[in-house]
Amino acid sequence: MSKKYKLKRLLVRRYQILAAILFILAAGLVLLPKYKKNEGIAPDLFVKNIISSERYISTDLLADRLVNQDPTVLLIDTRSEKEFNDYALPNAVNIPLKDLLNENFDGYINQDVYDVILYSNENFYADQAWIISNRLGYQNLYVLKGGLNEWFNTIINPKMPEETEPKEAFDLYSFRKAAGMYFGVGIVKSEVKKEIKKKKPTRKVITVKKKKKRVPEGGC
Amino acid sequence: MGPLIPNGIIPEDWNYIIAILIGFAFGYILEASGFSSSRKLAGQFYGYDFAVLKVFFTSAVVAVIGLYYMDYLNFLDISMLFVQPTYLWAAIIGGMIMGVGFLAGGFCPGTSLCAVAIGKIDGIVFTIGLVIGIFIFSESFSALEPLFESSNLGNITLVDTLGVSPYWIIFIFTIIALIAFVFSDWVRSKVKKVFY
Repeated sequence: MSKKYKLKRLLVRRYQILAAILFILAAGLVLLPKYKKNEGIAPDLFVKNIISSERYISTDLLADRLVNQDPTVLLIDTRSEKEFNDYALPNAVNIPLKDLLNENFDGYINQDVYDVILYSNENFYADQAWIISNRLGYQNLYVLKGGLNEWFNTIINPKMPEETEPKEAFDLYSFRKAAGMYFGVGIVKSEVKKEIKKKKPTRKVITVKKKKKRVPEGGC
Repeated sequence: MGPLIPNGIIPEDWNYIIAILIGFAFGYILEASGFSSSRKLAGQFYGYDFAVLKVFFTSAVVAVIGLYYMDYLNFLDISMLFVQPTYLWAAIIGGMIMGVGFLAGGFCPGTSLCAVAIGKIDGIVFTIGLVIGIFIFSESFSALEPLFESSNLGNITLVDTLGVSPYWIIFIFTIIALIAFVFSDWVRSKVKKVFY
């Protein structure tokens, strides 16, 4: 009986109670401690991108695209400026890892026109640059798998396959060899021996033809 | 995580099916709140029934509080939600026409369909008028187009205009709602009761 009575008394005040709940929830939003939200893409998408092997591009594929003069390739060298000046891939842009978020370089990385291919000596710098950029939601980013070391081992100085290896290995080898030549290595300068033969002046024999005796051709 | 469809958690194809289901729920709530009665709706203007104000204000406040809690807990990215662009003068004039129609006809477009669904004759007449209005608007659209497309302020919200934290706006909005509820009850107690 008393329980029913209590419920009844509560129900009489139901609008006040609901209004109070609304008020408390709204005040809760104001009073909740604010935190800075993560910038860039959602964490689960980010992890999915990191796990995906599609973010790597092999040296062979890169060489093929460079040889075919693919206009959508934009190479970015993430090493230091000194290393860049010593050696860099053709037409690469030097953006050292520490300057990656520099405003001046933003136009190179944050765009959707080129396929940006990041490389360094190994994967490490390029991977770090890739992770930072991808977190910010930049598009079309790739990492050169193995970096310049792999580039040297495959394109510049490819290993001759064993005799027992399949034909594909030899095809790849010859492609690498040819690509290496395109990038200016492995061209054997064969000495071309030019033999200049001295011509002996030959004596010109001028034969004087004797006038043949005219055969009488008949008279008038 | 959310919004579910733009983030691909629910396929895009489900969009219309979900819209229809929400439409059913909306129609049910309208009917259950008694909004298919034009007297109840008009009571808003005469001061003997404030159900419209209470239902719509409550739903708006509950929705906005819920959305911002979900945003706070990272269930939803509030910046991905669509904000209807503001055409200032078109909205003011359209709102006035809508208000006059609401008061004169006793229905708003949604509730008139609700009334048609339960077979109310005034609702059917109102809906025919609605269709005629749509026809006239469509035919004279070229004349109305400058007004229709002018003063576009873009997808702005109060947060952008006032530069205040959204949480404060929600809090103040909630208090305004609560005051409006108390005030409407007070008005109703002063007005002569109408039985309908």
